Amino acid sequence: MAELPAYILLGLRALMALALYGFLAWCFLTLWRELKQQALNLARQRIPALLVTQDAASEQLRFATAEVTLGRHPSCEWVLADETVSSRHARLVFHHDHWWLEDLGSRNGTFLNGDALSAPVVLTNQDHIRCGQVSFTLHIEALPQAAPQTQEQA
Amino acid sequence: MKVPRPLRRLLPASVSASLLRLAAAFLGLFALALTLSPAVRQRSLLPLAELRWAHWLGVVVWVLALFWLDRRTRERLPNRDPFIIPVAGLLAGWGLLTIWRLTFEFGLRQTAWLAVSCALFVLALRLRERILPMLRRYKYVWLLAGLLITALTFLFGTNPSGIGPDLWLGCCGLYFQPSELLKLLLIIYLAAYLADRQPLMTGLLPLLAPTAVMTGAVLLLLMVQRDLGTAWVFIFIYTILIYIAAGKRRVLLASAVVLILAMVAGYELVGLVHARIDSWLNPWVDPTNRSYQIVQALMAIAAGGMFGRGPGLGSPGFVPVAHSDFIYTSIVEESGLLGAIALLALIAFLVVRALRISLHARDAYQRYLAIGLAAYIASQSLLIIGGNIRMLPLTGVTLPFVSYGGSSMLISFFALLLLCLVSHDGVHRAAPVLNSRPTLIIAGLLLGAFALAAVITGWWGVARGPDLLTRTDNARRGLSDRYVWRGALLDRDFQLLSRTGGSASQYTRDYVEPSLGNVLGYSHPQFGQSGLEDGLDPILRGEERQPAWGLWLSHILYGQPSPGLDVQLSLDRELTLQSMQALEGQRGAAVVMDAASGEVLALASQPGFNASTVGEDWQSLLESEYSPLMNRAVQGAYPPGGVLGPWLLAAARNQDLLPEPELETSYLLNGTTLECTQPPSEMEWDALIAAACPGALAQLGLALGEQNLLTLYSALGLYTAPSVPLRQPSFAAPASLPRPGEAATGQAGMLVSPLQMARVAATLSNGGQLPAAQLALAVKDASGEWQPYTEPSAAQAVLTSAAAFSQAQRLAAEDAPIWELRTTAQGASGLHYTWYLAGSLSRGSQPARVVVVLLEGSSPQQAAAIGRQVLLTALGE
Repeated sequence: MAELPAYILLGLRALMALALYGFLAWCFLTLWRELKQQALNLARQRIPALLVTQDAASEQLRFATAEVTLGRHPSCEWVLADETVSSRHARLVFHHDHWWLEDLGSRNGTFLNGDALSAPVVLTNQDHIRCGQVSFTLHIEALPQAAPQTQEQA
Repeated sequence: MKVPRPLRRLLPASVSASLLRLAAAFLGLFALALTLSPAVRQRSLLPLAELRWAHWLGVVVWVLALFWLDRRTRERLPNRDPFIIPVAGLLAGWGLLTIWRLTFEFGLRQTAWLAVSCALFVLALRLRERILPMLRRYKYVWLLAGLLITALTFLFGTNPSGIGPDLWLGCCGLYFQPSELLKLLLIIYLAAYLADRQPLMTGLLPLLAPTAVMTGAVLLLLMVQRDLGTAWVFIFIYTILIYIAAGKRRVLLASAVVLILAMVAGYELVGLVHARIDSWLNPWVDPTNRSYQIVQALMAIAAGGMFGRGPGLGSPGFVPVAHSDFIYTSIVEESGLLGAIALLALIAFLVVRALRISLHARDAYQRYLAIGLAAYIASQSLLIIGGNIRMLPLTGVTLPFVSYGGSSMLISFFALLLLCLVSHDGVHRAAPVLNSRPTLIIAGLLLGAFALAAVITGWWGVARGPDLLTRTDNARRGLSDRYVWRGALLDRDFQLLSRTGGSASQYTRDYVEPSLGNVLGYSHPQFGQSGLEDGLDPILRGEERQPAWGLWLSHILYGQPSPGLDVQLSLDRELTLQSMQALEGQRGAAVVMDAASGEVLALASQPGFNASTVGEDWQSLLESEYSPLMNRAVQGAYPPGGVLGPWLLAAARNQDLLPEPELETSYLLNGTTLECTQPPSEMEWDALIAAACPGALAQLGLALGEQNLLTLYSALGLYTAPSVPLRQPSFAAPASLPRPGEAATGQAGMLVSPLQMARVAATLSNGGQLPAAQLALAVKDASGEWQPYTEPSAAQAVLTSAAAFSQAQRLAAEDAPIWELRTTAQGASGLHYTWYLAGSLSRGSQPARVVVVLLEGSSPQQAAAIGRQVLLTALGE
């Protein structure tokens, strides 16, 4: 009988360890679920397509991916075969519900509606962009029907 | 809008509530274990009133305060990060219960501070929209006010504990440490300043200039105050913020260089820094004084081991300031490496969440603020934990949320509030991150440092643990002696010599024969063990010869060894007492041995001491010039002189190397003339050896030669310590004996102990066989059966039976059936010693017994009288 408290305490200690590591496991489990949910949300996210028309040409290009790189290099999503365009010249990115334009350190600069770019800027419909001597006009397609976004609220 | 089920579990409300419930469950179990712990310590069912109850007040306040705080935060800041409040709450609760466990009064105060901190947190939530802008707007005002308050400690500073730097302001039992607040104010200032500079950021200089001035002012203040830990935290925070803002890796390098230079300069110039760094690099040199804290802290971690001692069952109070600076070791001692890893993971998780909050922050100001807070929590935690485990030099900062201290608790919760505000603001409106690399590098470095702290804790706790715990300055051993039954020492007829008295939790060592102190030894809570209590300690203490599962069970249940086992000694109680009495007034030793079995029947050494009063007499025992603590029979090493003569003679005869004796009986050694112990009766070998004439001995040595002499001494066991469980000097064999003549006189550097000589003497009474010495005969195992202490080892033949017999006959006494030999010897320091060897002559009906007496000083008559008296008593005459 004198040993009884020691055995009870041993049991309590085991439960303590369980609760403590349960706490940590729950933290990581929640993080994992959050991560998965975010991945799902991103996969479900709809990107308004970009329609670009080069001023010198009549053809219209359509991009529906979240990131478009412009440049002379063949690995770019949009290859511009022009001497004044750097190999990786600029980037169009969709995040935070907007299309952004970002200069990638090009030699001849990137211009939005005539102004040289120094930081990423948000694009709007009918913006005019110039990379080196190549210029084009943007058209952002409206999303057909925005799905209701899930909001985290208590 | 209805939220789908898998998603609901992700909502901040449900995450924080369920985490908080788990934390409450952990703390409840912890508190229950603490309540039960006195019963486990006493190993009995105690009445309820004798269990611990006070700390439940802390649990109740924690549950009310934290759930209320979480609910209010959920209402006011619905988008806050759902993890940080439960994690910080768990840390605070863990610390709170640990403090209750250590000191009642501090537990009470910490509970009050927790309530106050939570109340202020909730009050501040009302101003939620205004706090961050207000802090930003008046950044210089805040920082200067903080500096001013800190500077006030120069004038009105005190220290609540009475000693150490005066870093607190306050009176009437309420104290505040301004430098804690200053940390947050500096972070706010830096965040606001760097955010204002952001658009114009071109180089390091405009960033550095004003911030370096302000930070430098803060550092100077702290240096003068000798608050070095806080200064270190400031350097960390400053470095991390500037690095994030500038994105240049050279900031980290420069800061590392500055830190190292500061450490070197501090080491050379400031006494306190010098001492801290010394005790960090070499703690084992000075473990009782400067390194006392760190050595005790490492032993506390070692005591924790893998699973910890259990709540309330360790002894974390042995480490000074366990409730604040050393709270980490207190936690590790009672929850082990397992708990340490969880604690480090919780802090690291909090830091990572703070960094994530910073990445999702709405603007640069909030981003820097969150990073600064992450740096504050991480650097302060790493600094104090690192100091506790000898990863870094020790600095007196608190462990955020966990340590005892009102200022620390308030500031930690203030930091938590700021993180909640930033995270609430940022969720859907994060500013674009220009360069995320610095944040990732900082996160990697900090996580790596936490992982390293876990590894080092494991090193001290598990890898080095068993070694550390056997240190004599580990007070836990003395403590466990009060709770664990220590085995008894019995004589050969099972009469008690030393035993355990008292009842559990108050066990004492009772010495039935206290006058045998320097033979049996003592077991003292402060001075450790000596003599046989030391040599047989693992058995008496219950660490050896136990069934493995029993040991493991006692360890896991109580953190203590199993009840100890009794040991039967070969000593004869009466004979040992008589030997001690016979030696009374002398300085010397006596050994009586059974010649056939090697069992030591009596072991005596004078002057002795009273084992019952060793604690009271300690200082005088240590200071006495006659070394009463030493057992001369076993630990004494003396020149043998002519006492080995008969064996030299027998060896020479055996090999036909015996020359004609020369007429010169004395011998000139290093300018001293050595003389015979007594005038030889005739110029014949046996008479010369019986008279121990050095000239004859030298002649024998030369005749035998170096190799024969080495072989003989080694065969007689003079180069090995007898196999008894007592500490002995080392008797290593020399590589060579270049002057065999000098060596054979036994006064040219060779030293032997009386116990060794008893074995040698036994060969003459035992037909030339050298027995192995035995002092412990049997051990009463856990099931109550007596088991032999060692397997009997075979005696080795040194002389032929006939040679031994004839040699003994030549030394026969005229008036008693014994052989005897008395000689004097001179040591290197010019001191004289007297040996008396005697043994029973025939192996007829009587058991063969030998006696060896050694006296310091030249008194052959006295030695012979003592030896004869003891031997004849042993022989039953």
